[in-house]
Amino acid sequence: MKSKESCLLCQIVADKIPSYKVYEDDLTLAVLDVNGANPGHCFVIPKNHYPILEQVPDNELSNSFIVANKISSAIFEVLKVQGTNIFVRNGIPAGQIVAHFMINVIPRRENDNINLQLTPKQLSEEEMSTVELKLKEQLKGKGVEKTQRVQKSAAESHKQEPITDDEDNYFMRQLRRIP
Amino acid sequence: MAEQQMSEEQLKALQEKIKQMSPEELKEFQKKQCIFCQIVSGNVQSKKVYEDEHVLAILDINPSNPGHLLVMPKEHYSIMPQIPNEEIEHIFLAVKMLSNASLRALEVQGSNVLVANGVTAGQRAQHFMVHLIPRKDNDNLVFELPQKTIPEKQLLEIAEKLAKNLGSRHEKKEPVQIPQIPKQKEIIEAEFDESAPGKKPASEEPEKKTIKSMPKTKNPPKKNDIDLDDIAKMFGAK
Repeated sequence: MKSKESCLLCQIVADKIPSYKVYEDDLTLAVLDVNGANPGHCFVIPKNHYPILEQVPDNELSNSFIVANKISSAIFEVLKVQGTNIFVRNGIPAGQIVAHFMINVIPRRENDNINLQLTPKQLSEEEMSTVELKLKEQLKGKGVEKTQRVQKSAAESHKQEPITDDEDNYFMRQLRRIP
Repeated sequence: MAEQQMSEEQLKALQEKIKQMSPEELKEFQKKQCIFCQIVSGNVQSKKVYEDEHVLAILDINPSNPGHLLVMPKEHYSIMPQIPNEEIEHIFLAVKMLSNASLRALEVQGSNVLVANGVTAGQRAQHFMVHLIPRKDNDNLVFELPQKTIPEKQLLEIAEKLAKNLGSRHEKKEPVQIPQIPKQKEIIEAEFDESAPGKKPASEEPEKKTIKSMPKTKNPPKKNDIDLDDIAKMFGAK
């Protein structure tokens, strides 16, 4: 059994390994990646140890993504970058390298050598339909359960400032660039 | 996405028009132009696999892998920072459910979740969406995150600025010796050493700076169907 003791990220949570923490609440921790893909690359992790996404309880998972969104906004504002990626590698074939669920928040600039390009594959109409049917079958009767929206560490500890539609707003300017 | 061929003149006129628009007008304009809003409303056909009050998940017509899903809020948001927390919560709980379903239904062993905010990050649609891409070994899909060496001074500066912006305190300490995150191979061996020997990814170059998905081999090893529990076991969980 791999336990918390051997998990690098659990040791960061426990402060046994020093790190550059940028955000912390009851459930979630966000840390600068010292070997980031770009300066400002952060990873957001639930404090509890769960290897893969599917194992993270709903409240901890949603808190982590809310934090990731906040980090992404902060990166836009502080680092004046042109974009951010939110990226999860879930499972070994997906490139996951640490057995502790993690959300990467990556600042993006032009020509930064990061490849998160989505390259399309040619699938036949039949393949598409088969996949569609399989997924629908699997999802039958399933739905997102209304969670008890009480456990809102991130939401409550940090007042949410809605993005204003101010002319000079960075996001609005970015918006205009989207084709 | 919804790119039509326009003459240079038309394009210029349109750009000029957009520049003149107030933010409200711009939003309205984008909504009308948005193919994904049309998909949500059913005006444009799509392969829907999941739908509820807030969220729609459809198969990407240009999939990176079979089962590549686009998970989007029904409401039009251009970028993630505009989305209220409740919506973020709902969207990503849907992603979790859908990832779980594709692990089971499509016999894959992983997934990538990807959001692109801004053109530089690869955003191509004006409607916020999450890409959920099922992954299996040797699927010829490569994402590369270089590992850059970032000077300690810069790290400290960024950490302070971000922490301040996020309303959290970053305790200023003397620059500490940060242990290098082990390179890919070491981590894999440390974390996954209980997986069956055959499942260990063969990375011949331990010093490789970039993290690739899987080395391409001509004869992919035959794998049995893997369910969520098996995947968890690969990580040494219950």
